[in-house]
Amino acid sequence: MAPDLSVITVAVALPFVAAAATPLLHRALGERTGFAGAVVALASFGLLLTQVGERGAVSFVWVPSLDVAARFYVDGWALLFALLASGIGALVFAYSRSYMHGDEHLARYYATLLAFMGSILGVALAADLVLVFLFWELTSVASFVLIGHHTDSDASRYSARMAMVVTVGGGLCLLAGLLVLAVAADPALGERTFDLSAMIASADAMEAALRERGLFVPALALFGVAAGAKSAQVPLHFWLPNAMVAPTPVSAFLHSATMVKVGIYFVGRLRPLLLSPEWTYLFATVGLLTMTVGAVLAVAATDVKQLLAYSTASHLGLMVAAFGFENAYGAEAGSFHLLSHAAFKAALFLVAGIVAHEAGTRHIDSLSGLWRDLPVTAAIAGVTALSMAGIPPFSGFYSKELLFEAAYELAHYDGGLTWVFPVTAVIASVFTVVYSLRFLSIFLGDRPADADPVHRAPALLVAPPAVLALVTAVVSVSPGVAVDAIVQSAVDATAVGDAELHVGLPDHVSPPVVMSAISIGVGAAAYGVGDRLRAGIGAATDRDPLGANWWYDRLLNGAEAASARVSPLIHDGSLRTYVSWSVTAAAALALLGYAATVAGLPPVGRTVPPTMALVLAVAGVAAVSVMVAPSHVAEVLTLSILGFMVAIFYILASAPDLALTQLVVETLVLLIFLLVIEQLPAFYGDIPRGVLARDAAVSLFVGVTVFLTVLLAGREATAEPTAVARYYATEAVPQGGGTNVVNVILVDFRGFDTLGEIVVIAVAAISVLVLIIMRNRGETQ
Amino acid sequence: MSVLLAAVVGGLFAIGTFLILRRDLVKVVLGVAVLTQGANVYLITMGGIEPGSFDTVPVLATHGDYVPDTADPLVQALVLTAIVISFGTTALALALTYRAYQENETMDVHQWR
Repeated sequence: MAPDLSVITVAVALPFVAAAATPLLHRALGERTGFAGAVVALASFGLLLTQVGERGAVSFVWVPSLDVAARFYVDGWALLFALLASGIGALVFAYSRSYMHGDEHLARYYATLLAFMGSILGVALAADLVLVFLFWELTSVASFVLIGHHTDSDASRYSARMAMVVTVGGGLCLLAGLLVLAVAADPALGERTFDLSAMIASADAMEAALRERGLFVPALALFGVAAGAKSAQVPLHFWLPNAMVAPTPVSAFLHSATMVKVGIYFVGRLRPLLLSPEWTYLFATVGLLTMTVGAVLAVAATDVKQLLAYSTASHLGLMVAAFGFENAYGAEAGSFHLLSHAAFKAALFLVAGIVAHEAGTRHIDSLSGLWRDLPVTAAIAGVTALSMAGIPPFSGFYSKELLFEAAYELAHYDGGLTWVFPVTAVIASVFTVVYSLRFLSIFLGDRPADADPVHRAPALLVAPPAVLALVTAVVSVSPGVAVDAIVQSAVDATAVGDAELHVGLPDHVSPPVVMSAISIGVGAAAYGVGDRLRAGIGAATDRDPLGANWWYDRLLNGAEAASARVSPLIHDGSLRTYVSWSVTAAAALALLGYAATVAGLPPVGRTVPPTMALVLAVAGVAAVSVMVAPSHVAEVLTLSILGFMVAIFYILASAPDLALTQLVVETLVLLIFLLVIEQLPAFYGDIPRGVLARDAAVSLFVGVTVFLTVLLAGREATAEPTAVARYYATEAVPQGGGTNVVNVILVDFRGFDTLGEIVVIAVAAISVLVLIIMRNRGETQ
Repeated sequence: MSVLLAAVVGGLFAIGTFLILRRDLVKVVLGVAVLTQGANVYLITMGGIEPGSFDTVPVLATHGDYVPDTADPLVQALVLTAIVISFGTTALALALTYRAYQENETMDVHQWR
């Protein structure tokens, strides 16, 4: 059964409408706007829930001739992501009601959060490449506003700009990649289209077309950068920990469950289209590298949110790596972990928010024994952190098991260097266990004697993470429920061929079970020497060139310094500088364009008729005289000769209307010039030799460029008339009722253009009038 | 395409650019006017130039069915618009020049930074 277009459209549009209405809502509801947001999110969630099980594309055609349409594609993968975004969205809105209490900019906060949620739903459901790009960038913009929520804090502005630069930079790569796909769709699908669902439907033809044009690897690299920037993959991971300056609900929503998953989502979406050995090497390598680097840095983190941020990067790496593997386990691990990670990580962030809110600090070393004061929160943290660590029987264990299976399978078949994959996965999992236990340690043990008293958390703060912990617990206890409900259909959408997802506790010893046992055992042992481990990691990573932050700062400062040096050179307020740069650049670009597309100079055509040659020669001489004339009057008179010669040229070129207009205009221009220059003094500055040489060089360059382009682009008289010229000539009488084709074009076919032209003349006339008459009147009074 | 035609158009562009780069404001306005002429001729050459005849003028002789291969009417319509607009801009530029001189008492573009 096909999905319902109206339901999908309403689900995506509702958050945007609500975002637009938020200022009004906020005026009416005040801080309770958070509940309104939760209602909107729940409405979208409910609407999407009715579509579970559907699969297919629906579209709303806008400009059919240009193939512009709002297309939506619904399948398990899209719905899983969209349901997570709206479901967690509802919880985050409810949490914000209490957490953001007393904030000054609540209207902006809720409006952006709503718009962000709508964009995520858009990315998840859009099947049109243009629409995908639009929503993708909207998430970056919304994230920028939310990270920079505290506009008066330097750290906040710095981090917001960093996230913007990295993710929007990745978005540009996405745009380039999408255009490559659209180009390849031309031979593969028989038409140039932006329809992603059609491309995925004929994946083999698309891949063949891409490879034939040598565009496969570039497209893969572009999507890799785009997804890597969005999903914080090494070496573009550094914006994510910085983004933790945002309010905690934002971190929980954007930077654990939704925005950073956009890259993952898109990797999963493109997986059936681009799966190949290159795909595996790119994504499995980057993913496992990120998984390890993120886990190691999380172990060394000192701040609760920072730990969770690095851990998020690490888990995103897990999902990217999973989708990188070509076998069915890869798609299963990625899809299953999308669900389990979203649930436990959002809960952990909300827990971190509660801890910061009630204990007044996020510093790990000064927190311990919180279970006495925050028992429910501690229980939530227990379930979710153990799931994060991948301890059986919690949900994270199943996805890790599937990843080990996928990595082992690949290494088992390919052998050789591919054994690096499973080994790296185990190493990363060891560190995952260490930092998960470290996170739990803030709840265990005794309160430090000198600590401030901890308040009990309000129910409204505890309920949302409790719901997520409940989800985690259900997925942990009976993963089959989640699989049957939606994960299996997500796997179907991302896997190639048949993939039957089975998750559950292992009943016999297999290589992945051994790998899990190693990582848990070594991880628990390594936690015992945690302090030395942290000191070692700190010492090893405490070098500037190792930090991606350092490179980012250098790049940005370098760009700022360079533009500060360059800008006075190209715009210094002098007309000559502006003209020189712009005409030289325009001419150079034109030449480049021709150099790239034209093979050689065409044979020189017939010469012009002798009369025309004579007229043109006189026009050329007149132009030279304008340049060298000794006085303004001589300049104007020679300019007039040039104009009249051009008028005669129009007559010879079969354009009587132009000649008539030119004669009238030239006469008028001559009169106006003579009237004006009578009032002006002659100005004869000496021209320094260097300036003269430079100006002559610029002018000659422009002249030569124009000369070449006329030779290359000018139409031969013997060529057939263009279709549009022929159209106007033949349709002038039937449609316009006039025999003068030029006049019919001006007043009939392109009547609005002529209206615009008349407006321009009228505006110019009024301006002249104001400049000459009214200004004088004002001065004399 | 004829070399002479290309050379004249190129020459008009070069001279126009050179004049715009001068310090005397009147020369700048003259440069714009020369460039305009060059651009108009350039546009006409894009339609193809052949020796004029009764048939090539885009004014049809009859209301009948026969439509000869005329010179490109579209570029002529474009240039007609361009001529009129350039007249407006030249007049405005001259008025501005006049006012600018009254205000600043100099014609030197470089002294207005």
